[in-house]
Amino acid sequence: MEARPALSIQRSGASQLSNHGVSGGLSSSLPVLSTHLEETYQKFSDTQEVHAEKEMMTRPLAHTTRLPTNNGVVGHIFSSSSGFSSDIHYSSALPNEKHSRNPPFISQSPTNIAALPLSQSSNSLLPQSTIPIHCNKENSGSWCTDPDFLDFPEWADQLITGDDALASNWNELLVDNVTDMEPKTTYQVAKPCTTVPAQNQQLPSPSVESHSVVNPSSSANNAPAKPRMRWTPELHEAFVEAVNQLGGSERATPKGVLKLMKVEGLTIYHVKSHLQKYRTARYRPEPSEGSSEKKLTSMEEISSLDLKTGMGITEALRLQMEVQKRLHEQLEIQRNLQLRIEEQGRYLQMMFEKQKAGLDKLKVPSSNPENPPAPSDATNDNESPTKSQLESSQRDHVNSGTGTVNAKSMLERSPQEICGEHKAPETGDLEKAETCVSESSSQPSKRPRIEE
Amino acid sequence: MKFGKWLKQQIEETLPAWRDKFLSYKQLKKLVRLISLAESPEFGKVDAEAEFVYLLNNEIDKFNAFFMEQEEDFIIRHKELQQGIKRVIDTWGPNGTKPSEAEYIDEMAKVRKEIVDFHGEMVLLVNYSNVNYTGLGKILKKYDKRTGRLLRLPFIQKVLQQPFFVTDLVSKLVKECENTIDEVFPVEVKEEIVKVQREAITVVGKGVFRNTVTALLSMQEIRRGSSTYGHFSLPPLDLPDSDLIHSFQLNSPIPTV
Repeated sequence: MEARPALSIQRSGASQLSNHGVSGGLSSSLPVLSTHLEETYQKFSDTQEVHAEKEMMTRPLAHTTRLPTNNGVVGHIFSSSSGFSSDIHYSSALPNEKHSRNPPFISQSPTNIAALPLSQSSNSLLPQSTIPIHCNKENSGSWCTDPDFLDFPEWADQLITGDDALASNWNELLVDNVTDMEPKTTYQVAKPCTTVPAQNQQLPSPSVESHSVVNPSSSANNAPAKPRMRWTPELHEAFVEAVNQLGGSERATPKGVLKLMKVEGLTIYHVKSHLQKYRTARYRPEPSEGSSEKKLTSMEEISSLDLKTGMGITEALRLQMEVQKRLHEQLEIQRNLQLRIEEQGRYLQMMFEKQKAGLDKLKVPSSNPENPPAPSDATNDNESPTKSQLESSQRDHVNSGTGTVNAKSMLERSPQEICGEHKAPETGDLEKAETCVSESSSQPSKRPRIEE
Repeated sequence: MKFGKWLKQQIEETLPAWRDKFLSYKQLKKLVRLISLAESPEFGKVDAEAEFVYLLNNEIDKFNAFFMEQEEDFIIRHKELQQGIKRVIDTWGPNGTKPSEAEYIDEMAKVRKEIVDFHGEMVLLVNYSNVNYTGLGKILKKYDKRTGRLLRLPFIQKVLQQPFFVTDLVSKLVKECENTIDEVFPVEVKEEIVKVQREAITVVGKGVFRNTVTALLSMQEIRRGSSTYGHFSLPPLDLPDSDLIHSFQLNSPIPTV
């Protein structure tokens, strides 16, 4: 759409700052990964494609050093505004890894602080995992929002109780960050994050389209963060009503509209930007196709369909409509398929974890030897065919486990291998669903390669 | 076709203002390669993963921001269009305040064009969402493959909940647009149109129509079947009328700024 230079809405990630300045082509927002996490931050503020490419080449990810005074580390790891705190998925991913990871974490420097709480308890982090955080990172104000706020207080506490050495580092980090808070550069992106938790704690609640209320991240947050809000038609209706009550889009003021709307969590910033869009849309209804097309007059636009068949404009539009409808249809189908695929994957994962949990229980030398061999046999049966197949695949994988099955390769195999008597009926269903989805109940073509 | 190449094509063909909003697939791919090559102990891997995740999150932020902004625009424009139509009908329509067939037809033509383009733009946004989601899935898959870690599954679960992926509202607006068009511009008895269109049609310019045709064709292309077909792969695209779509000849784009 049209660029909105007046508003900083477009700024989403830290790395986005110079996005608009960069010429087209692939996004330049991808910061460079460097071995030194601190340096990474410098790179983020550059965000030039050229640099990115160069640096990527010349700076292999040889080794990450432990940076005790790396203010950014903890911050940036959790600074995902999209609710994607790495911890969230770590907490689910980690259980798959061997727990032997945990002790080493604790003995490491702050760099691993990030990883630490993840493994400690997914419980404290779980509440956040369900939350789609819509907040956006606005660089004009402080860094945004939720994940940082959420994660910090909870596991920071854990940290502090867990290990004094780390805790002191932690406090050091926090203190360091508190001192400088200019929201100017992207480098600051991480810093304010780490400070905010000290000030704010908020619980994001899911802000789905059905909610006409603002993204909650803005509600409890009095800090200058300007998270993105997801507008809905209903909300817009209320907005329009308020505007009309105030005498039209030109006369209405953001403050007035905000007051009239009486929507919880809506900030004046949201209203302001929305009002601006609204005004633009009303008084320049023609150029809605994006900047380049504005130059075309309406006739030229119509004749952008140069029809050899001499189709009338009507037919041309109808044809265009057909194509668009078709595309949309396919997109929806595709999306549903993708959802189902992932759902299934999740289901398989869950089954696998259950099985693994069952296995682990059996492995524990229990005081009752009459823990009937039957179940253990059953599960062993489950394990052995899969294990032998997987052992070869494990060569490819970094498996920190003692030879427990690799979840990923499990998932990539058809469900018939994840079988136990009690699971047979379920796998039947899974298989059916899978055939619908993937069109082949046979193994993926990758497998033979792995198996040999 | 390789995804990277396909993505590049999508980006080139998309609306100019959207070009830098797509996934930085190439860079991420490079990163994955670097990570996999690095001979580091477990912790190096964890840190590298943290970095990777951070970058992915940034990308996601980008998508979310762009998507929601577009969505907001669409909401506004949708309402304005509806009102615009009403205005035209009420003013120049047969029962309007200043009935005038000529004006009515004229204005209606403009409105119609606007709606159709608007519809197309919204569909393109849904396509944008899809393209980026697919890209994320692929890069995660690469990552898992290269590093033997299990990042993809849990991560993608979170992606599914991201605003940019939840395209329900935009889809709803799309359908409403379709309904509006059907109502206001009822289908005339010209079913032969479809047959007429079998002849080659040249699509010129960078209009929305061009973009949607491209998107559709390339979707078919990318789903043609892959070498790494697995349980998480989508089946090939079943596209009725595909020869019609293929009959569109896309001229090389006029170089834009």
